[in-house]
Amino acid sequence: MNDTEQLIKEALGQLAERTPHPGPTLNALRRKRKRQRNNIFLIATAGVAAVAVLVFGGLVASDRYAPPLPNDAAAALTPSAPGALKYQPHWLPDGFVETFRSANDGSTERGWVPANAPADGYGGGPSVTLSSGQGSSSQIGEWRDVTVRGLKARVQASGEQAVVEWKAQDVLVVRVDRVADPEGTALRVADSVRADSNAVFEAPFKVKGKPAVVFSGTSPGEWNARYSPGRGPFEVTVGKSKPETGDAPSVPVEVRGKQGVIVGGGTLVVQEGDLWITVSSSPADKPDAEIVAMANDVEIASNVDTGWIRKK
Amino acid sequence: MTPSFDDFVAEQVTPLLRYATVLTCDPHLAQDVVQEVLLRAQQKWERIGSVDLPHAYVKRMVTNEYLSWRRRRAAKDVALCMTTLESVTPPVGDTTHHYDEREAMLQRIAKLPRKQRAAVVLRYYENYEDSEIAQMLGCAEGTVRSHISRALATLRMDHTPEPAGVGLRLGEGLS
Repeated sequence: MNDTEQLIKEALGQLAERTPHPGPTLNALRRKRKRQRNNIFLIATAGVAAVAVLVFGGLVASDRYAPPLPNDAAAALTPSAPGALKYQPHWLPDGFVETFRSANDGSTERGWVPANAPADGYGGGPSVTLSSGQGSSSQIGEWRDVTVRGLKARVQASGEQAVVEWKAQDVLVVRVDRVADPEGTALRVADSVRADSNAVFEAPFKVKGKPAVVFSGTSPGEWNARYSPGRGPFEVTVGKSKPETGDAPSVPVEVRGKQGVIVGGGTLVVQEGDLWITVSSSPADKPDAEIVAMANDVEIASNVDTGWIRKK
Repeated sequence: MTPSFDDFVAEQVTPLLRYATVLTCDPHLAQDVVQEVLLRAQQKWERIGSVDLPHAYVKRMVTNEYLSWRRRRAAKDVALCMTTLESVTPPVGDTTHHYDEREAMLQRIAKLPRKQRAAVVLRYYENYEDSEIAQMLGCAEGTVRSHISRALATLRMDHTPEPAGVGLRLGEGLS
């Protein structure tokens, strides 16, 4: 074993000494298990109550008729418009290319990494992100007042990270990570941001009409998109790469008219053409039938625009 | 006989937290990962409890959770810094000059891509063989060797010995 390897061993051993006390984990586990039990009881109670209301409501309303409002049908049939990303930085550090886009509930984010970055560009290397519609929740240092194109702004920086936040038509945030002169870089990127009506978030798939919220890739032919409604109960991904499932036990299932598998009891994987669809239940307590139904509801877009991936 | 889930947790929670801390380089993220994995394990305990080595199975769940896409964004947002580490547990006193060098090495390990970092942890912290690491990461042994070789190249390349006493300052970011 050479010096570097010995030093790695010692460093990891030192990190292990900082293992947190198990108390908070055990308490959180206890609370979550209790909440799950309560949720099961609440769901059962709510189900019984809902059936009772429907039966009673049906009886009362059966002799009434109210014509539908003219706008109801239109509202129901209006497709969800692609999310406008609205803003574009016109200066980025040399060689940075776009690999990440997301749009969700009015807030958007775009991410750039060096063109030679490995994997998905979020493996811990340098990155620049521009988000709109939501202020920064990061606390990496003290906020200081600055200006961005004459607008009041604030910046915080620490180590190799910096965040600039300002209010244009929307709240805008530029974050840089692991770049030289992070504050200077973040301010220069922020100064270069302009409105751009051409940049849109086109979801590669929808689930029951709701678009995927995250779209990222390492090349136009190697991408991945995710739909996750809040913190559950399901997360759906569609991508070009076969998901890594290890050798966890798997059960074959019929889904989308073909054979897929349920791995480890909570994750469904099925291949469709050159794409892989993955549906995970989180927590993994959903019956297989519900996971299959979710996968059946995935509508993949016929023309997925991936031309923006790896472009500046 | 299948151990009860509560007995398993009582016995394994600390080793799992220790492993997750080394793997994630972030005690808060380690707590989060272990909680989520134990919740899932509890729901499938009938099956997991009956396998030969339940702790190995759950440890693998921890590894997969760390490597899963669900954690990628979170890990990008969570900066590993000394204040984070020390808010959870203070560093153990070390008066030797190796301390600074080890801290600097930790910084470099924390910046490795996730699979490389996992392979390094399994090799140098858990002392696993290539075949065991391959099984844990769900990849070929050649891929494991490649991960470790690249990681070592990065760690060596960045390794410029510093004089004693010149190291990471408190509050300085690690990632």
